[in-house]
Amino acid sequence: MHRKITYTFPRMGYSYAAFESFFKILGYDVMVPDPSNSKTLKEGVSNSPQGMCFPFKILLGQFAKLLKENPDKYFKIVSLESYGPCRFGYYSPLYNKILEDMGVTNFEVVNVEGIYPPWYKGVPRFIKKLVKLVGWHAPWAGVRAFVIAGWKVYAVERLERKFYHLIPREKVSGSSEKAFNRAFERIHHAPNKVKSIKKILNEELKKMDQIDHIDDVELPKVGLVGEAYMLMDYSNNLEIEKKLAYMGVDIDRSLWVTNWTLDRLLKTKQHLKHMKEVNKGYLDFFIGGDGQESIMNTILYKKKGFDGVIQVLPFGCLPETAAKQILSNVSEDYDVPVLSLSFDEQTGDAGFVTRLEAFVDMLKSRREIKSKESKAKKAESVTTR
Amino acid sequence: MKIGIPRGLYFYVYYPLWYGFFTSLGHDVILSMPTNKEILNTGVSSAVDDICISVKVYHGHVKHLLGKKDVDHVFVPRIVSEDKYKYTCPKLAAMPDLIKSAFRKNEKKLLSVVMYMNQGKKALHEAFSEVGKKIGENDDRKIKKALKAGIELQDKATMCLRKEHNFLEVVSSIQNLDSLLEKPVKKERYTVALAGFPYDVYDGYMNGDVIKRLQDTNMRVVVTDMLEPKLYKHYTKYMIKDLFWHQANVAAKGGMYYMDSKDIDGVITISSFNCGISAVYEKLLDLYSKETGKPLMHIVVDEQTGDAGLVTRIEAFLDLIRVKRGDGLVAS
Ligand code: SF4
Ligand code: SF4
Repeated sequence: MHRKITYTFPRMGYSYAAFESFFKILGYDVMVPDPSNSKTLKEGVSNSPQGMCFPFKILLGQFAKLLKENPDKYFKIVSLESYGPCRFGYYSPLYNKILEDMGVTNFEVVNVEGIYPPWYKGVPRFIKKLVKLVGWHAPWAGVRAFVIAGWKVYAVERLERKFYHLIPREKVSGSSEKAFNRAFERIHHAPNKVKSIKKILNEELKKMDQIDHIDDVELPKVGLVGEAYMLMDYSNNLEIEKKLAYMGVDIDRSLWVTNWTLDRLLKTKQHLKHMKEVNKGYLDFFIGGDGQESIMNTILYKKKGFDGVIQVLPFGCLPETAAKQILSNVSEDYDVPVLSLSFDEQTGDAGFVTRLEAFVDMLKSRREIKSKESKAKKAESVTTR
Repeated sequence: MKIGIPRGLYFYVYYPLWYGFFTSLGHDVILSMPTNKEILNTGVSSAVDDICISVKVYHGHVKHLLGKKDVDHVFVPRIVSEDKYKYTCPKLAAMPDLIKSAFRKNEKKLLSVVMYMNQGKKALHEAFSEVGKKIGENDDRKIKKALKAGIELQDKATMCLRKEHNFLEVVSSIQNLDSLLEKPVKKERYTVALAGFPYDVYDGYMNGDVIKRLQDTNMRVVVTDMLEPKLYKHYTKYMIKDLFWHQANVAAKGGMYYMDSKDIDGVITISSFNCGISAVYEKLLDLYSKETGKPLMHIVVDEQTGDAGLVTRIEAFLDLIRVKRGDGLVAS
């Protein structure tokens, strides 16, 4: 029986719109797994080894649902991973083994890994993988798909940033969310031309600017650091950014698909410099995942005048747990409050919101005390004069 | 000088090397005492909540040595890699930083250095020269000699392991490994293999004394660190790709090798609570045990492993082994 191949990939945040386009442009069928629900979470958790990373369990559940619901289709699961330096590097063999063990067979896993040593083996292996992934295409078709997908990622991120900026400033609650959702859908389904994407982006940004809001307010600022997937996937981090924004906080997330890719793959100079300087004495060594970034970004946020930092980590995440211990020193040395939130399948909405609120309240009162102190100082200097 | 070596983590792998090096330079090596309640409790309260129990215990050992007035330095190396393109767990690679963050007041007493164990003698020489400098030894000839002594001792220890003497025996016979080499190993009717990281397998206080418990019921106990790596190389194919961590590969492939060995009756994995890496090799072994039908049991070490529940589980496992051999249950 010949079954047509359908591509699928790990869903992460809003970036799925771009990855979806990538395969469509190359002329393939593609399906995006649905966001997690309690059933997929349960299935992912119960079939994964207990101590495995939470993101692995999430994705396993999502894939299992997709595969089971479409038994007539044959899937290629594209897993983007590297050879370590974390468990991430072993996701795809485990998907393979576990899904098979669950009796699901209509799939194969294609993992696109970075090139890892030894080079003379790594480079041909990488090329082989790419061919296996997208087939023999005229190189320009591949490049085109890549460029357009890149633009979509960029456009969605611009919209998202604007969205989080507007929420605490909007006059009618919910108005920016409506605008964002519409804008996102337009980019998602934009024609596959760079020009059209640019045009839609500009139009939508303008429209969002026109939402009735107050620009001139001072809000507490919170930076978000942590493990990349947990941080970037709104559906599994309980929409932490949106929640904070609705609590009246200016938030900034440290990792985005764009900067993550640029910093990691191309090793941008500034990134390397920061890593070295800032982490010195705290975590001098690359330990994989995003652990060093978390420490670096916490310090950089403080230097930029942020009021607090939240570390988002999957429960048991190896590098982030190490970073968590060290962050308590950073917090002390730099006088910056850090809240570490570990996520697993039991993280419920209620307790979560309470913790966020308590943290935000604390930041607000710290701000008040500080502004009073500085006022008092000013007054003092006036009287002494 | 007195050099403290915490009895945890890579102590259970590289102790002979470290011991040989420091003693050859004329220093005394002071070990922290075997894990006990106090060490465990200090460790638990010094390290961050959700970190694995092995790392917590290690914190306890370091603290114990830091508290000793006569110990001049506590040796906390950063072991980065152990085999070609195989590294250690992120937490291990961050170890000196973690220890520093937990015991900031004693930072100066910590003696740490980055070590690549797979890059030949030159890299080791560099690392140990650095250690030497930090303890005031600048004579390169002496360093070289000490390193040679360390490597010799480590090689001898490996030979002992290959002869199926376990690492605890190596530790207690460190001054006389030659005689350990000569010592015959007792054969028993049953053999149980332990798969896991050496620090989980050999810390008897933490794992409910598995080794002793098994030996007391006349079981021969072998451990994955006794195997020559060549023996299990081919299991990469089953695993689709090698794991990123050397010790996890040893546990996974060694475990599979034992499952395929006729003279091994069952395999027990021992891992640390909250260790994410063990989760991966345990799953692989689960699947492999399904294929081979070899009995497999998991022990997860946590703050109270040695309870009655574990004893019952081990007994049930041993009964299973006996039944598989066609021997009836032994009334005990
Ligand atoms: S960074 Fe954390 S979540 Fe990601 S693979 Fe490593 S342990 Fe798992
Ligand atoms: S490998 Fe596991 S037990 Fe060892 S330090 Fe890492 S997390 Fe802990």
